[in-house]
Amino acid sequence: MPVLSVQNLSIDYLTRRGAVHAVRDVSFDLEKAETLAIIGESGSGKTTLAVGLIRLSPRGTKVTKGEIIYTKNGITNDIRKLDDDDLREYRWAECAMVFQAALNSFNPVISIWEQFLDTAQAHGIKDRHRVRDRAADLLDLVHLDAKRVLPAFPHELSGGMKQRVLIALALMLEPQLVILDEPTTALDILTQRSIIDLLRQLRQKLGFSMIFISHDLSIAAELADRMITMYAGRVVERASVEDMFYRPRHPYSVGLLRAVPRVSGALGSVASIPGSPPDLMRLPKGCSYAPRCPYAIEACREADPPLLPVDTPRHEAACIRWQHVAQVLGSNAEIPVAEKLA
Amino acid sequence: MTTAILTRPTLGQRVAGPLAALVGFLRLLARRPVGLAGFIGIVFFLLLAFVVPFFVPLTNDPNVGAIYQPPSLAHPLSTDFQGKDVLNQIVYGGRDILLVAILAAFFSTVIAITLGSLAAIVGGRLDAALVAITDVALTVPQLILLIAVAAILRPTSLFFVAVILGLLQWSNLLLQIRAQVLSLKERDYVEAARSLDLGLFHIIFREILPTMRSYIVINFVLAVSQAMYAQVGIILLGLVPLSGTNWGIMLYFARDQGALFFRDSLWYILSPIVAISLVQLSLVYFASALEEIFNPRLGGA
Amino acid sequence: MTAVPVATKPIGVRWNPRRYFGPLWRHPIARAFLKALLTVWVTTTITFFLIRLMPGSPVELKIDELIQTANGALTYDDARAIASGLFAINLNAPLHEQYLSFIWSLLHLDLGKSFLSSGTNVTTIILAVLPWTLFSVGTGLLLSFVVGIGLGLLAAYRRNSLLDRVVSTAGSFVSSVPNYLIALLLIVFVGVQWRLVNFTSMRGAYSSGMQPGFTLDFIGDIFYHAALPITIYFLTQIGHWILSMRSATLSALEEDYVTAARARGLSDGRIRSAYVGRNAVLPLVTQLAISVGFIVGGAAIIEQIFAYQGVGLRLLDAVRQRDYPIIQGIVLLTTVSVVVANLAADLLYSKLDPRIGRAGGAAG
Repeated sequence: MPVLSVQNLSIDYLTRRGAVHAVRDVSFDLEKAETLAIIGESGSGKTTLAVGLIRLSPRGTKVTKGEIIYTKNGITNDIRKLDDDDLREYRWAECAMVFQAALNSFNPVISIWEQFLDTAQAHGIKDRHRVRDRAADLLDLVHLDAKRVLPAFPHELSGGMKQRVLIALALMLEPQLVILDEPTTALDILTQRSIIDLLRQLRQKLGFSMIFISHDLSIAAELADRMITMYAGRVVERASVEDMFYRPRHPYSVGLLRAVPRVSGALGSVASIPGSPPDLMRLPKGCSYAPRCPYAIEACREADPPLLPVDTPRHEAACIRWQHVAQVLGSNAEIPVAEKLA
Repeated sequence: MTTAILTRPTLGQRVAGPLAALVGFLRLLARRPVGLAGFIGIVFFLLLAFVVPFFVPLTNDPNVGAIYQPPSLAHPLSTDFQGKDVLNQIVYGGRDILLVAILAAFFSTVIAITLGSLAAIVGGRLDAALVAITDVALTVPQLILLIAVAAILRPTSLFFVAVILGLLQWSNLLLQIRAQVLSLKERDYVEAARSLDLGLFHIIFREILPTMRSYIVINFVLAVSQAMYAQVGIILLGLVPLSGTNWGIMLYFARDQGALFFRDSLWYILSPIVAISLVQLSLVYFASALEEIFNPRLGGA
Repeated sequence: MTAVPVATKPIGVRWNPRRYFGPLWRHPIARAFLKALLTVWVTTTITFFLIRLMPGSPVELKIDELIQTANGALTYDDARAIASGLFAINLNAPLHEQYLSFIWSLLHLDLGKSFLSSGTNVTTIILAVLPWTLFSVGTGLLLSFVVGIGLGLLAAYRRNSLLDRVVSTAGSFVSSVPNYLIALLLIVFVGVQWRLVNFTSMRGAYSSGMQPGFTLDFIGDIFYHAALPITIYFLTQIGHWILSMRSATLSALEEDYVTAARARGLSDGRIRSAYVGRNAVLPLVTQLAISVGFIVGGAAIIEQIFAYQGVGLRLLDAVRQRDYPIIQGIVLLTTVSVVVANLAADLLYSKLDPRIGRAGGAAG
């Protein structure tokens, strides 16, 4: 049984002018110790999705349908049906969500130690000494000096340090699932490197499942086992990382890959996708990517294509012309797409 | 091919512009019923104080036989301790108070704008000195200082009172203006103006201040309400030589003549209280509606 | 024609206090003290010159009065000597010396002597009444602050509910109407029309014949007498606290760390107190100091209406009696009280907000 199974999840923002369909019919599975990357541009719905997974959507947001099935030790629960107390227990003890360090994820007026303590006490752990020891171990795990970090206040720590503390805090209750929202955005290159390495180490050591959300393809390449790309609130492609990079089948994924400059590529080998994402309140009929798609035909504008299985196992793309895409790329090639299109 | 010649705006155009702006403004205001009510209140009292007296004669004759009459058709708001009609006094009583308050607010606004921009632009010691003085002005309890000054100077004319009040209110706006000018003076269009040698005056009044119109207007409205508070306060305390009739004087006499403690004189004391309160409420609600309009980020509060 | 404008001199030069006050300036607490001292100094200077240099200066008036009452028995110089004793100023010396000796007397807490009860120290007179004002104002302020932030927090959490609307409307209403008008309304309705409370028995700071001391009786008595002023201070201030706390709480609720805290499974209660509440209250603490000045000002009128013997009432008596040393003394002392309150609020704020008052910034 997969640790997390999301089925047809749809989330709307309710505004005065109408409903914004931020997340539409999203489904995916996450196995034990697997890492899933959710990639998309701003406004694709990825953060809304992540926040919806722990039911922390802001006011004015509504989950219109779908299920979030979580399994541990053989016991299954639909997260949407949890009551408030169980939900609070689920949050952090089972599923920990780490936001960007650049955002202020920490209460500025209390010390880091107190925030550790708050988290522990919220989950029923009253023994301060135990918490102290655990916090020290965790900070050690993320290569920070507990003696220095614990009494400090958030404004005294750098962005990279705060991200590490967030990760340490996330692992405090040994969750089965860790969700990271933009873990390396807004950090400098060197710090990004260290965070990625840290995540890899921790995952190997502790064996948790991970979902991370980003617009950065390179972190997906480094850390993820599987990947989904999102566009205008929908999943447009679901594949293993290898398949996604070497054998993409959805024009949007291709476009994304093309937009990443290569270190050794020729100048001018980078191309952005023309146009801009659609207005989520007034979606065009048919495939929402069609207006920007170089392979779109009449049929594309008639109906929203479902996720269709393509030529490699456990690989689906929401495109009725995926074979054409495969042809254009020359399927079964081992050379990364970006290089090919340079 | 003829090119369009720049023509001066016609009279019709000159009127239409501001008129359209006014209508637009009223429409914005209509969405905030409390602010609209405030605006209507202000207009009402301005008319009452300044326009209505032209149509209603002043009835100033004491009528000993009619002291503290209950409200009737002849005297809708009853009579005072001298038998004079209260409604008449209310109508005539707003003018002095409003005039002084508006004048005082005007003075304080002018001082704040001038000194604030000067401090920001000139900088250095002048800036430091002005900020220090402003800090002090903010700290000293205003009413106490006002009482002391009124006691020592004994102002006899209303204009003088307005000046004194104006001298007490400028602190807040000065700091705001100074902050704004400081942040704006590094902007490109100011640099451009300077390099075109347009002069300090021009820079302040044509480049920087128009962007702060909203601050200034809101502050002006609040300054009027604060000036009114201070003014009625010192009249109530009897520190200002009393002449004529205004709401504050009515209150003073009400206390002085013990009207507070008579059951029959309820209307006499209530009328000025209600009048002053309504004006204050209108000003404050209008100001907060203005704040919402100019600062849409605050919406939803 | 050059296309690039010549580099213009930066407009104005900021006067850098660091150069003059050095390391002292960096420490925010020391800075607050320095500012307080500065404020007191500027106020005393202005008061001094106001009294001394006004046309028809009170000092000269006093000299004239002394001469008149003495009916020729007093020479101008003698009268001047007496007047200088009353004002704590040496009138014979040039102005700057007078000023310095004035400051010197102040530092010895000598504010001169009253005109009327000649021989009584102004300081003694004022100190006899100042505690009453501080007591009533302080209690009113504290009560309105505590209740106000409680209601404001509640209103923000139940945004747009009936409670929120009622509380916000009532708050803004009551805080906009001048406090003395509310006092008058209180008397008119509660006292006279509805005869609920007997106001005459509540005059004064405490009942005559009562022995001051820390007995329960006495304390109950002073609260009874202070009840009316305290009620007015409470009512007229609470609106401001409710509205400020409400908007501060609404902002705090939008912050990322609140979402992050909920993601960690923290209970609503803990979030409300330590995460939302503590952050929302911070800006209000600075406002607390500013309010003190405002209420102390309004206290004069309130004390007169309720015949409560505080500093405000004494000031009005002094004004009526043209007792200038007392007027001068009260202006000074009330300013000092406000400055001290500001300082206390600054200190409190630096204790509550760890981002202030520490020399550190982001570490490596």
